Amino acid sequence: MSRQKTLLERRYAALGLTLIAPTVLIFSAVIVYPLFSAIYLSFYNVFTPTLEGEWVGLSNYAELLQSGKFWNALKNTLIWTIGSLSLQLIFGIGMALVLHQNIWFRSLARSLILFPYFISTVVAVLVWKWLFNDLYGILNHLLMKVGIIDFPMDFLGTMPNAMISVIMVGAWKYFPFVVIAVLARLQSIPDALYEAAKIDGAGPIARFFDITLPQLRDVLVVIVMLRAIWDFKEFDLIFLLTGGGPLNDTQTLPLLVYQEAFALNDMGMASAYAVVMMLIMLVFMIVYIRRTKDDEGS
Amino acid sequence: MLTFRKILFNLMAWSIVLAVAFPLFWMLVTSVKPGFELFRRPPTILPETWTFEHYWKLLSETNFLIYFRNSIILSSATTLVVVAVATLGAFSLVRFKYRGRESLAFLVLFTYLLPSVVLIIPLYLLLVGLGVSNTIFSLVIAYTTFALPYALWLLRSFMAGIPEDLESAALCDGATRMGAFRDVILPQLLPGIISTALFTFILSWNEYLYALVLVNSDSSRPLTTGVMNMLISSFNIEWSLLMAASVMMSVPLIIVFAFLQSYLTRGFGAGGVKG
Repeated sequence: MSRQKTLLERRYAALGLTLIAPTVLIFSAVIVYPLFSAIYLSFYNVFTPTLEGEWVGLSNYAELLQSGKFWNALKNTLIWTIGSLSLQLIFGIGMALVLHQNIWFRSLARSLILFPYFISTVVAVLVWKWLFNDLYGILNHLLMKVGIIDFPMDFLGTMPNAMISVIMVGAWKYFPFVVIAVLARLQSIPDALYEAAKIDGAGPIARFFDITLPQLRDVLVVIVMLRAIWDFKEFDLIFLLTGGGPLNDTQTLPLLVYQEAFALNDMGMASAYAVVMMLIMLVFMIVYIRRTKDDEGS
Repeated sequence: MLTFRKILFNLMAWSIVLAVAFPLFWMLVTSVKPGFELFRRPPTILPETWTFEHYWKLLSETNFLIYFRNSIILSSATTLVVVAVATLGAFSLVRFKYRGRESLAFLVLFTYLLPSVVLIIPLYLLLVGLGVSNTIFSLVIAYTTFALPYALWLLRSFMAGIPEDLESAALCDGATRMGAFRDVILPQLLPGIISTALFTFILSWNEYLYALVLVNSDSSRPLTTGVMNMLISSFNIEWSLLMAASVMMSVPLIIVFAFLQSYLTRGFGAGGVKG
C-alpha cells in the first residue's frame, strides 16, 4: 500500500515538474541567463556599436567607486526615493482615511484617485510637461494669479525645482497604490474596536493613534518595502521628465546605467553600475522576501 | 449641525479628489481646444469652441494608428503567453510537491522585484545576436521578463485561495489531476485569471524602457515610445495633438477600468499587498 502511494506521489511530482517546465525554461532564457551575463559583462570593456570587448577585471568597479558620477547618482536616487515615498505615504494614508468615510459618490471618487496609477508614465509625463510649460502652462498662470510668484517659474530646468517637480509628479502617480492597500486593510478592522474605544472616551485623534495606526502597521511595512524597491529602480518617470538634468542633478542610478550603455557606449561600465545598484536593492529585497515567507509560515 | 459638518467634509474630500484628477481633466480639455485658444491669457477652463481636429489629425497625418496596432498586438501576445504559462506554473507551485519548489517560488519573487536596467543590456545583446531586434516579437520576449514573474506571483496567491478539498473531492471521484484542474480549479480561478490578464495587459501597454532600447523603427514601435517621439521630433510642439494622443492612449485603460473595476481591485489586493 505504502509503495503504491509513493508511486502515485512520484507520478504527481513528475506532473508538477512538467507543468512548471515552461516557466523554468523561459526564466532561464530571459532572466537567469541575462542576470549572470550582466555580472560577467561588468568585468569587460564593451564598446556598444561594435560589441567588441576585452577583459578588464575589477577595474570597472574601481573606477565606479572613485568617480563622482556614481556617488552623485546614488545621492539623487536616495533623495528621490525618500522624498517621493514619504509624500506617497502621507497623501496615501490621508486619502485612504477620507475614502473610508461615507462620502458622496465614493466609488467615483475612488476611480478618479486610482487613475494616475494606471495611466502610462508617458501620458503622465506629457500632461505634466504641459502643466509645467513656462509660457502657457496652467500651473505658472495659477501661481502668478495667486501672487506666489511674479514671473513664470522653470519647473524642470533649474535646481532644486527639477528634483522637487520630479518628486511631486512621482508622488501623484504612485500614491494611489498606498490608498488602495491601506483602504483594503482599513475595511478589515473590526468596528467593535472603535466602539469600545468610544465608550472609554477616546476622541477621533486618540482612536487614530491607538487603534488605526497599530492595525495598519503590518501593511504599512509591506507598502514601504515594495514602494522603496520600485521607486529606487524607477526609470521612465525621471528619464522622461528631466532626462537626468539640469546637468546631472536628477540623474538616478537607472538613468546612469542607460546613459553609460546607450549614450556613452560602454556596456561593461553600465553593467557594473547595474550590478552595484542591484546589490544595494538586495538589502530591501531580502527583507521583503523574508517577511513574505514569515507571513506564509504563520 | 451634524449635517453641516458632513457637507463640509464632503466638499473638502471632493476638492482633494478633483485636484488629484485635475491633470487628467486638463488633458481632456486641451485635446478639444482649437490651437488659438490654447495660448489665451487667462486660459479658458472649459473650451469656448470644441473641436476634434486634433484627433482627426492624429489619426490621419501621424503614425499613431500604426503604433496603436503595434501596442495592441504586443500587449495581447504578451498577456496570452504569460497568463497561459503562469497558470500552469502557479498550479504546479501551489499544489504539487517536488524538490526545488521552494527555491523556485523564491526566484519568482526575486525576479518580480528585479530592476529592468540590470537585464536590459544582456537582453539587448541576446536579441541582437538572435537577429530579432527591432521587431514586436523581440519586445514580447523582453516583456516576459517582468510580466511572467508578476503574473506567477499574482496567480500563485489566487491559487492558494482555492480550497484544497475541492480538488481532493474530485480526485476521490476518480478524476485525474489534470481533469480536476480543468473541471474544478480553472472555473474557480477564472476571476483571478481575468484580473491577472488585465494587469499584465496594462503593464505591457505602459512599458517604455525596453521599447526605447530594443525598437527604433516606426513600423514596430509601440505607443509609448511612438508618442514620445512625436514630442521629441516635432519642431513646434503641438500640445493639443499630444494631449489627444494621450487621451487615445488611455482609452483602453478607461474601458478596462469602467467595466472591470471589481476584478482590478481584487488583483490589487492579492498581488500588490498580500504578497
